[in-house]
Amino acid sequence: MKKLTVFILLVFMVFTITACNKDDDGRIQIDFLNFSSNGGQEETLAAMIEAFETENPDIKVNVETLGYDDYFTQLAIRVAGNQAPDVYELNIENFKAYADKGALSEIDTTKIDVSQVHETTLEAFQIGSKQYGLPTKFSNVVLIYNKDLFDEAGIDYPTNDWTWDEELEAAQAIRALGDGIFGVSRPIQTHEFYKTVVQNGGSMMNVDQTEFTLNSVENIEALGMMIDRINETNVTPNAEQLGGMGDWDLFLSGRLGMIVTGIWAFSTFADEADFDWDIVVEPGIKTKATHFFSDAVVVSSKSKQQEAGAKFAAFLSGSEEAALLRADANWDLPVALTDEVVDTYKSITPPLNKQAVFDSLDYLVTPPSLERFNEIADDLKSYLDRAIAKELTAKEALDQAQAFISSKYE
Amino acid sequence: MKKLHKNFKFYIIIFLIPCSIGYLIFSLLPMISALYLSFTSWDVIGGTPNFIGAENYQNIFDGDEFYRVMGNTFKFIILYIPGIIISSFLVAILFDTKVKGVTGFRILLFIPVLTSWVAGSIIWKSALNGQYGLINNILGLIGIEGPGWLTDTKWSMVSVVLVSIWKDLGFFSLIIFGGLRGIDKTVYEAAEIDGANSFQTLRRITLPLVSPTLFFVLITTMINSFQLFPQVMVMTGGGPLGSTQVIVERIYTYGFKYFNMGYAAALSMILLIVIVSITIIQLILQKKWVFYE
Amino acid sequence: MNKKLKLKSLSVIAILFLITAVSLVPFLWMISTSLKNSSALMAVPIEWIPKKVSFDSFVKVLKELPFLKSLMNSVAITLGSTILTLVSSSLAAFIFAKFEFKFKNLIFILFLASMMVPIQVTGIPIFIILTKLGLNNSFIGVIAPSIFNVFAIFLLRQYMKNISNEFIEAALIDGANLFQVYLKIIVPMSLVPLTTLFVINFMSYWNDYFWPLIILTDPNKVTLPVLLSKLNTQYATEYNTLMAGSLVSMTPILVVYTFAQKYFIRGIQEGGIK
Repeated sequence: MKKLTVFILLVFMVFTITACNKDDDGRIQIDFLNFSSNGGQEETLAAMIEAFETENPDIKVNVETLGYDDYFTQLAIRVAGNQAPDVYELNIENFKAYADKGALSEIDTTKIDVSQVHETTLEAFQIGSKQYGLPTKFSNVVLIYNKDLFDEAGIDYPTNDWTWDEELEAAQAIRALGDGIFGVSRPIQTHEFYKTVVQNGGSMMNVDQTEFTLNSVENIEALGMMIDRINETNVTPNAEQLGGMGDWDLFLSGRLGMIVTGIWAFSTFADEADFDWDIVVEPGIKTKATHFFSDAVVVSSKSKQQEAGAKFAAFLSGSEEAALLRADANWDLPVALTDEVVDTYKSITPPLNKQAVFDSLDYLVTPPSLERFNEIADDLKSYLDRAIAKELTAKEALDQAQAFISSKYE
Repeated sequence: MKKLHKNFKFYIIIFLIPCSIGYLIFSLLPMISALYLSFTSWDVIGGTPNFIGAENYQNIFDGDEFYRVMGNTFKFIILYIPGIIISSFLVAILFDTKVKGVTGFRILLFIPVLTSWVAGSIIWKSALNGQYGLINNILGLIGIEGPGWLTDTKWSMVSVVLVSIWKDLGFFSLIIFGGLRGIDKTVYEAAEIDGANSFQTLRRITLPLVSPTLFFVLITTMINSFQLFPQVMVMTGGGPLGSTQVIVERIYTYGFKYFNMGYAAALSMILLIVIVSITIIQLILQKKWVFYE
Repeated sequence: MNKKLKLKSLSVIAILFLITAVSLVPFLWMISTSLKNSSALMAVPIEWIPKKVSFDSFVKVLKELPFLKSLMNSVAITLGSTILTLVSSSLAAFIFAKFEFKFKNLIFILFLASMMVPIQVTGIPIFIILTKLGLNNSFIGVIAPSIFNVFAIFLLRQYMKNISNEFIEAALIDGANLFQVYLKIIVPMSLVPLTTLFVINFMSYWNDYFWPLIILTDPNKVTLPVLLSKLNTQYATEYNTLMAGSLVSMTPILVVYTFAQKYFIRGIQEGGIK
């Protein structure tokens, strides 16, 4: 009998150690789930929450942070199981699906202060004219360049007026520096594709988003240019040459002259690059175009703490206090762009030329707003990959993609 | 052996209760819901599922993807199962030689089994880098230019197989070793007296006697093959060009990335039918080659 | 020892050494990676052995992450799950091995078939059930699914079949009830396969990622694999820290295995996986 008692005791202990989870005082508890603070900004978020709780002593925020890879799986399971957190973070790519399916509650913007919030970002989280999420930060894409490699190649630094031609010239000069050194990296996937075709006067869909226009002449030409960078001039490394390394890693190792990537790279690059670097507005082909990304906090439609949740969302979004903390930590661009926030943001270097981030705001493009965008993006990418692998020409790839995607998602 | 006769109904029920409850809650009920979901379109985040009949199944069989993915899975099976069984068998024979110091190897060879799939896959992903990876650097030392293991469609599945064998070798060689140790050693002595050479001994004595264990290994590795997932997810994500997309990876992608759980559930029902049929076939075929004392 | 035997031993050792060496290369690479600082990670040419040995990543794992807390959580969950599996499976296996009852074979086959459905599909239904039972965000919720473990039932049943009925009958004649038979005869005589299963299940529950991630939302209850996964961020992975963390988290299972491996093999052998 002794052994059994030990067994039972052990099992019991394990249960009781963990089962107690008491609420300390009478404060309203809201659960907040996020991904964007993972990997370095956890403390900034904690500071924001502390500021919020000081301002609202009757509310307590319980934060949970998940890695990006798991976040949307986790969120979906919790929403499906009726366990959605009161307040959570959504990126613009997933926002529409959640809003359309009734998972989010409308936020009454008349009751909260959103006067400081950048207009474009606020509109990005509206369905009809109803606000279903409050943006907290946004980002665009710029050209980041390694000054040391430009010096070594003896060429001029990029300017905001550059186009793909100047970019290619510089990239070739840098590529010539050595076998493992590459000129520029622009990944080839659906996100990059829809932006690049706009630069060339094309588009993924027609204006009212009823039909795909994947194989237009402009698109084919643009894809051809993207692929030539890899397969012809090889200023961009192919998968083999990258060998599983990410292009950020390649840039940080000092062997990549230019990289077209998001401004969220700044804090990592500032910490880890041991060379001089700076930024300019992303070069275009016929016109300029660059990405717009934004993350928002939303309130669950099932939450019992709608009001407190909306208050918290408004704080993260529109308050100058949160925006200053964010700017100070180099954590993307806050949406509440008061003069002080802009000054703080610009004062954090590198990069020196932070003005380029604001200049880029004139050229923002957004992906087609489709419910099944994730799936379409993967389908299109499989055709782009076959073009990169030279199985198909750029024209064949886009002709086939147009036929397949049009019939699958009619 | 004779069974016990007394009537123990009460205890039988009590003793089976924990497992049966577990089975109902964590296996049967979820399986039934998955079966139901496979006839619906359910987007996970948007409330209740819509009944749509056999549409998901029809879409699966109408598209090319399912056949390609099954093809990839069979490619994995054809390479992995003979690979793991032969290599584990060889290692098990070496373990069984009673040479001093073998125990140490037994422990060391088990380390990959203890490593989590995520850590193992990440380290292999970096080791298999075409350009800077460990493997190609080693091959370079002896003058071989290694392929782009994970970026070349010809090699990507081979890489997944190699990594899977690496991870499982310690486990299955131990299982087979257990089987070998169960063989009565006097049988070998008799064979030696009869003048059998070692190949004959292996063919006529060892293999038949260890066949029940081999059968167990075959069934387990077959089920594992169909449920292949973490190594693919971490190392290749199904690429390049879909060459390592396998069925569980598709189930995950449809369910959690595209939020199309109905379609994912239909895929998994098909997977279930495939695994069950293959297992039944193996159970029938085993009579031809598995030898029970 | 004659010459032929010596040669044989030498060649056995040599071959085993080669195989083991190959399979440990990635592991050594893991150690080497964990001892690098971030700039040495991507160095060209490759640094086989880090030029500057740095323990930064280990310091980071042990200090910056709530490592100890997660370690305790992992230990509690793994032990709880393993014990639950062993108790419920040995009870059922005893019945399946020694008694006849209606639908016995059907039930057993149904049990076996359940091994074949991937968790990616049953995950959401199980999560919903656990939520309805109010078990989400608790260790009980993570541990509960381990109450049903087909592999354990299967292995124990094979083993218990070989326990002679005479022991059981003798005890029954002495007036013991079946529960006492289970405790005093079946469990002590099945220690070998129980140890085997302890190792196998400890290992798999220790490395389990899916359940703890889904069920436990309280940051204080996070397990080690879930904690380590956060090192894998959207744009960059700190390989050195990830590897350091993996190494540290492997240590407990390595210790368990080293001590138990003798019984582990006996369990496989005597259980006679047949």
